[in-house]
Amino acid sequence: MAKPDVPKVLTGNLLRNGATVYYTGKEWSAYVADAKVAATADEAEELRKIGAAAYAANLVIDVNVVDVQPTAEHTPAHIREVIRATGPTVRRDLNKSMSAE
Amino acid sequence: MYIYDDFDHTVAQQRVAEFRDQVGRRLKGELSEEQFRPLRLMNGLYLQLHAYMLRVAVPYGTLSATQMRKLAHIARVYDRGYAHFTTRQNIQYNWIKLEEMPDLLAELASVQMHGNQTSGNCVRNVTADHFSGAIEGEVEDPRIVSEVIRQWSTFHPEFSWLPRKFKIAVTGAEKDRAAVQWHDIGLHIVRNDADEVGYTVYVGGGMGRIPVLATKVRAFLPKPELLSYLEAILRVYNRHGRRDNIHKARIKILVRDLGPEEFIRQVEEEWEASRQSGVNLPPQEEMRIARYFELPPLEKIAGPVAAFEDAKKQNRAFAQWVATNVHPHKAPGYAIATISLKPIGGIPGDIAADQMDAVADLAERYSFSEIRASHIQNLVLPHVKQADLFAVWQALGKIGFADANAGLVTDIIACPGLDYCSLANARSIPVAQRISERFADLDRQHKIGELQIKISGCINACGHHHAGHIGILGVDKAGQEFYQLTLGGAGDETASTGQLLGPGFSSDGIVDAVEKVIDTYLDLRQPAETFITAYRRVGPAPFKEKLYGAKQ
Repeated sequence: MAKPDVPKVLTGNLLRNGATVYYTGKEWSAYVADAKVAATADEAEELRKIGAAAYAANLVIDVNVVDVQPTAEHTPAHIREVIRATGPTVRRDLNKSMSAE
Repeated sequence: MYIYDDFDHTVAQQRVAEFRDQVGRRLKGELSEEQFRPLRLMNGLYLQLHAYMLRVAVPYGTLSATQMRKLAHIARVYDRGYAHFTTRQNIQYNWIKLEEMPDLLAELASVQMHGNQTSGNCVRNVTADHFSGAIEGEVEDPRIVSEVIRQWSTFHPEFSWLPRKFKIAVTGAEKDRAAVQWHDIGLHIVRNDADEVGYTVYVGGGMGRIPVLATKVRAFLPKPELLSYLEAILRVYNRHGRRDNIHKARIKILVRDLGPEEFIRQVEEEWEASRQSGVNLPPQEEMRIARYFELPPLEKIAGPVAAFEDAKKQNRAFAQWVATNVHPHKAPGYAIATISLKPIGGIPGDIAADQMDAVADLAERYSFSEIRASHIQNLVLPHVKQADLFAVWQALGKIGFADANAGLVTDIIACPGLDYCSLANARSIPVAQRISERFADLDRQHKIGELQIKISGCINACGHHHAGHIGILGVDKAGQEFYQLTLGGAGDETASTGQLLGPGFSSDGIVDAVEKVIDTYLDLRQPAETFITAYRRVGPAPFKEKLYGAKQ
């Protein structure tokens, strides 16, 4: 069972173009900072259900709920997810920020 | 090089139409991801961390200038202006959109290219010596048989759903630049005592989590019997290879589990049936294909080329480039030039669209429009006049690809690693970049001599770390990137598996560790010894002592 104290966000890749996206509570954003954060195990389970439905609706693929840090930008906990959120570390010219601003 | 006939064109066009239909149905939701995934993989389309990744097949690493220009165009229009040459002589794009794939595939098909056999449990794109047809001392150009195998294996109904992927490599020279002993099947073209051409056949090599060097299953297979023998090997594998455990599904495990003797017995038994089946290629068809690989119309050039010799004397940097990046051609007055895609601090194998166009221009002007991709993630101009080498080198300097480092410490193989790959545990490219920067001094590189560093970001070993003189494997240790060091691996005719030296190093520590290994080698080497020969003489002990202290 997931620990309730580790905040989590729902992420996936858009089917049509593969872009990495995060669920905001009503839509999918390119920025992890826009993501809706699950603070409890129940909220995380709710995100999982939303992810499964979006997958079944052929909107996103490779859907996962991942750990984030309790920061304003929801910086992912694991380096793999940080790289997914921002882009390859070896091509900073192609990177995006964690937030739109 | 090989030119598609009507049959090949029809196959390519049908595949484009088929995939266009499949993508359309997927985007409309008529196909689920479970249904669609194997279909996209059959066209080389993977999902990675940031987007879809398309792997385009470069059969046996041979490209024309026209194809290179199309690859540049695709990088500009469908990707973000660059692409990546892989350790299997293929090219990958990192930012592909599914909705644009049908048009992209149609563009590829217009220059006889595709993503077939770059994924899935089929016979993958055949690889071969990147100096094929140009280097001295070959029994035969390995691209001829590679093309035969391509035609035989493409969409082969019996071998489209093997237990696991299946890689074949071919060398026609004694010096093995194709790493045949590391492949599921390795073919070494040889001549027997009766002066007949045939193959020494190796089976069951492979990297991944269980590195295995191939078993020699036949010292001499007569050339006309190749396809029936390959069919026999694949049938035994298809029948008995494990499908219950992905980690035990490669043919190397079957050879190990049956034992080499029993495996060979079964193949020979199967072969007795398959050689009667008519699959073997008629000699006239083999000759027809061979004609595509004849040498281009080279000039007859006698004696040393004065302009070339003078340029070397007058320009030390050019002479250094010639020493490492130029190999003798079998025709007098010509040379094979390696284009290093390893600029200091660069991303191994990456190439921008403008650079691709520039390489295409050079190939057209100086190398009969021919280019090769090597598994070392470099490019090759196979037929350059010695008199033109200086101009080629200068032109390469303008696009940042004139580094005189082929085969040296900064000519590093690195998989895309965690910067791109969804399977990776750690980053590979930044480690390669930092090692490259540490050893940027060209005189120091030349002093160290031949040295192959190969880096993988996970145990799947796309960066060939098991075959590196110095191998680096990235692992995830409690959420942190860690790097294990192996020493003594090789991919050539003296193939060997690198041995793990000891506990891994942090991302900060790995470059220092590599430098310590190299300094240790410089201290203990005897005259004319390369890193690998010195290592084979002294073993791991002096390196362990230097890295971990006397107690290890």
